Amino acid sequence: MANPLSTIQQCRLYAGFELQRLWLTRRGLMTLAATAVIWFFLLRYAIAPASDLISADGFQQFFRDVFGSGGLTQLFAWPAPELAVYWVLSLLILPTFCLFFTANQLCSDLERGTLRFLALRSSRSSIVLGRFAGQMLVQGSLILLTLAATLSLAAWREGGISLAMLTAAIVIAVNLLLVLLPFTALMSCFSAMVRSARLAVSLAIVSLGLVFALLSWFIFYFPDYLFLMGYLPGTQVLQLIQLQGWITLQHALLPLAQTAVLLTAATLLLKRRML
Amino acid sequence: MNTIIQCQGVSQAFGSKKVLQQLDFTLQQGEVAALIGPNGAGKTTLFSILCGYLKPNSGTVLLFGHKPGSAALFGKVAALPQDAQFDPAFSIGEQLDFYGRLQGLSSKAARAETERVLALVGLSEQRQHKAGALSHGMRKRAAIAQAFIGAPQLILLDEPTAGLDPVNALQIRQLISRLSAEVSFVISSHNIFELEQLCNKVLYLEQGRLKTETNSNADSQQQYLTLQLEQDDSAAVTQALSTLPGVVSIEAVQQKTLLLCYQAQQNADFDLAVLQCLAANGWRYRNLTKGKTLEQKLFSSV
Repeated sequence: MANPLSTIQQCRLYAGFELQRLWLTRRGLMTLAATAVIWFFLLRYAIAPASDLISADGFQQFFRDVFGSGGLTQLFAWPAPELAVYWVLSLLILPTFCLFFTANQLCSDLERGTLRFLALRSSRSSIVLGRFAGQMLVQGSLILLTLAATLSLAAWREGGISLAMLTAAIVIAVNLLLVLLPFTALMSCFSAMVRSARLAVSLAIVSLGLVFALLSWFIFYFPDYLFLMGYLPGTQVLQLIQLQGWITLQHALLPLAQTAVLLTAATLLLKRRML
Repeated sequence: MNTIIQCQGVSQAFGSKKVLQQLDFTLQQGEVAALIGPNGAGKTTLFSILCGYLKPNSGTVLLFGHKPGSAALFGKVAALPQDAQFDPAFSIGEQLDFYGRLQGLSSKAARAETERVLALVGLSEQRQHKAGALSHGMRKRAAIAQAFIGAPQLILLDEPTAGLDPVNALQIRQLISRLSAEVSFVISSHNIFELEQLCNKVLYLEQGRLKTETNSNADSQQQYLTLQLEQDDSAAVTQALSTLPGVVSIEAVQQKTLLLCYQAQQNADFDLAVLQCLAANGWRYRNLTKGKTLEQKLFSSV
């Protein structure tokens, strides 16, 4: 007997289906393989050597002399240098990866007409929110995998994993997900607008660049509005790099608010368009 | 009777092109409606509006008293949308399971439902295959299968047999015919003979306007028989049949085919009288059909 599902139940089904797409389809496994290769090189040729450098006392002293005891020197406070390097690299790289990785939330289904099958069974809000949740789950899986690899590297160097390292890894995972939320929601919007993932990525890059340029031009003439720059997705990243531990969550509100606004826009866009 | 579809003053334009203009019609429970019209008449646009894929510029559309796309219609209204394809990353079975789950079925029930609907369209063996591995006809049948998941009360089918081989087309027609006792259908097709077999109501669209809304069960004083002869004896047959009581007119609509119009009140057994007349004169016939063919109804004045 069929019972009508709530929006949350439908979102859960969509998110689960996206997770299945990552782990059980050929395309998903290719994504996993590509991620593994990229992170192998990052771990082998960036994180491991940088960790050795950071853990050297001479380097830490030199860094403190140059940058002072605040700011970036907080990187030395992470319980393992591998985690510190992972933290910086991920914060800088993942938002860009996210634009490419999550571009196809709705485009292909719009192009193929698959959304017509789905729209007969679930609301368009469920489709947008479910696909978004699915993308976050998928990115969460990849972050956990790469963090596990980084932790293994740290454990191999230090001869074990401490509770502090595990806690730091959780802090990193939560923060990275928070950083990726508005970027994923931004791609929900663009993928609801166009029928090609490539076009969605191009639109996102051009739009972000254009908004940044226009805002810069505006602030040049009206410097009092400099604070507007702080509302762009990802602007908290540079501040996050200088922080460590749960205090990083003081920057959580902005990405959450941006995500809510962007997801509302994505839902409205899909509701208004012809399938 | 319960009204299933109610359209009032529905209009739709794309830019300056008016695709639908002031459509008014209703569909009652148990009716199987044929949506007919030349290319560009607005059939697919009307389908999109009924399915909730497109909001009309003006007018009201209600399905079971709800706006198309409403949550109340999920699982109640099903459709075979034109050109919609399955996701190539998943097997047909996985996707139908997922659609069943979205309709509120448990995992087990969804799997059983997938088995059932795939069997209905003769695709039980293809459950594990991805859409890309299936032929065009198989993909079409799988798309039809998704429309039968659960217990829909209204199924909208856009060109259900286009691209199918004759055997599978017949199977789909039989399936629709069998289910039409419990489910209401709206079927869009260019195959007029198929629609004639399946439908008891016709919506004829032309240039975005509803030209004809006919019901084949409508009572009328004047009734029709379509007589198809074995040989071209039309002139002699016409002369002989003209003498039968109740005859209003006899028209040769095609070679060897006569359309007989008669007053049913004057001669209730007119069809028997026609057969007796043919037998008495040794004229052989190929087919005797009650009523006008759908083609004659729609295009006789063209």
